[in-house]
Amino acid sequence: MPVKGFAVYFELVLNIATTVSVLMLIALGLAIVFGLMNILNMAHGELVTVGAFTVSLVQVNGGSFWLGVVAAMAVGAALGVLLERGLIRFLYDRPMGVILVTWGVSLIIQQGLLLSFGPSPQIVYTPVEGSIEFFDSAYPRYRLVLIVAAFLTVAVTGLIMARTRFGLDLRTVIQNREVAEILGIDTRRVFMIAFAGSSALAALAGALVAPMTKIVPTMGAEYLAPSFFVVIVGGAGSLAGTVAGSTLIGGLRTVLDYQVPSTLSQALVLIAAVLVVRLRPRGLVPA
Amino acid sequence: MTETATAVPLRVGAGASRTSTRSIISFMVIAALFAYPLVLSPYQMDVARDALIFALLALSLDFLWGKAGILSFGQAAYFGIGAYAVAIVGPMIPNDNAALAGMVAGIATAVLVAAIVGYFLIYGGVRGAYLTIVTLALTLIARNIATSWASVTGGEAGLIGAPPPGIAIGDWSIVASDSISLYLLVAIILAVALLAVWTVCNGRYGRVLIAIQDDEAKARALGYNTSGHLLLVFVLSAGLAALAGGLYASVAGYVAPDLVGLLLSTQAIVHVALGGRGSLIGPVVATVVVIRLQQEVSSYSYALWPLMLGAFFIAMVFLFPNGLLPLFTRLADSIFGRSDGGRT
Repeated sequence: MPVKGFAVYFELVLNIATTVSVLMLIALGLAIVFGLMNILNMAHGELVTVGAFTVSLVQVNGGSFWLGVVAAMAVGAALGVLLERGLIRFLYDRPMGVILVTWGVSLIIQQGLLLSFGPSPQIVYTPVEGSIEFFDSAYPRYRLVLIVAAFLTVAVTGLIMARTRFGLDLRTVIQNREVAEILGIDTRRVFMIAFAGSSALAALAGALVAPMTKIVPTMGAEYLAPSFFVVIVGGAGSLAGTVAGSTLIGGLRTVLDYQVPSTLSQALVLIAAVLVVRLRPRGLVPA
Repeated sequence: MTETATAVPLRVGAGASRTSTRSIISFMVIAALFAYPLVLSPYQMDVARDALIFALLALSLDFLWGKAGILSFGQAAYFGIGAYAVAIVGPMIPNDNAALAGMVAGIATAVLVAAIVGYFLIYGGVRGAYLTIVTLALTLIARNIATSWASVTGGEAGLIGAPPPGIAIGDWSIVASDSISLYLLVAIILAVALLAVWTVCNGRYGRVLIAIQDDEAKARALGYNTSGHLLLVFVLSAGLAALAGGLYASVAGYVAPDLVGLLLSTQAIVHVALGGRGSLIGPVVATVVVIRLQQEVSSYSYALWPLMLGAFFIAMVFLFPNGLLPLFTRLADSIFGRSDGGRT
């Protein structure tokens, strides 16, 4: 039946788009921060978790989902500022130190959430009920909302980077930090804002996936490795690279999940990432 | 890495006394290692034995991180490969060489994995944080395999029936099964491994590694195959971690997915960083002390330990970036009267 086959194909494309959207949102902040300051934030996954928990808290207290999303971004940004001002700014010349410190922060956030909320999953109700019919197959409406929201966010980030004064400063610092400083750009301010923005994006991603995943303290950790792969494969500090990397990693993962057990698909994605890194050490689309 | 460039006062002639102080400490530690079981009950001895196995894991990480500058979250993956190999391959061998065969299989697998991943990455020019992330992914994948490939790995429940360490030649065979001989076996293997890594790193080879850590481009310009050296350490370290894993499975008699978790890698990093990266003996001592501490804390509150571990990471970076060993060495220097009048 050709129609049925087409529906399966369509569903696959939508599933890929969903995975890619989420991955893109998480990896975007990571890529900017890594390209900018050459540091890896190991607590990035926990910011995703915090985003999801924030939405759940807002909903439990009677707020709407979208209010929760805004709150999640605010909490994420605040946490980002706190992390940058309190810890990371002292370690810009010690990238290894940043890895260890942020890893410690991630352990503390995970365990802190576990102690305060318990191990059972939190609940978030989807704001958009029902599903849409495509060629005789139903697809949840909310996922389409998620995909649109993610692509809009990336587009807005792209506009900020390309068109605003801050975006210009940001790109200058990514290209060459010393020259940026000579030109009078306050690199520390750029760092702080970029870090806050990156954290807000991670929290946003967590808030958006909240209605379709199990919200537990360890949920963010599962996004850490894939989003780092995206950065490695795509190229640090590059928006186009992040989109390309997310499409490759997310797409491959989703397609493989249809064919082989998820463990094997994970390993195959790792192998693919390693191969890409071997062939293009600076990423698919270097900054 | 700029990590090592923290203010170490340069004192003429201090290097020699520092080295000999460290040798004295090393000797005392190794002596204590063998005298320790005399004062322990069998249960405590088992606990101490497990601590020594994790010290071997920390040693494998210190070789890689301290001597070659590659921070790895992958040690738990190799540890798991070694452990599961003993539990899976071991029972297939009918005689007392079972554990040995399992360990060889595990070490070979870990070495192969590390060689493939390492070849592509290290020769691809991947260094620093990127490399760390791939090792992180290795552990995540290994963990997933351990939990989801249930028909082979036993899934969440793990596997029992890993054979005890033994050796059989012809009709003659010997198997270590009581607490004291298991402890001594582990202690001997640890001491030999420590000595081997120490010897390798103290010779010319160690200097090449230091040169690569300080400035890889310069070392390469001087004609050293830096990628080759880094890959060799990467692979050897994986083998050492797999040996630790195989030992663990063999003496404990079972394996479980916890042996492959990120937490294990995390703990190894804490042990190395606390003990003093690159000092080899420091991480071994730190492992034993920290595991003792962990037991105390866990018996008080199970939830507290991960929080403390997180705080440890932050404190480590800010308060003692070179680990605790330099503090003790300095203390020992002043006790033995080797310091320059305590001016440091």
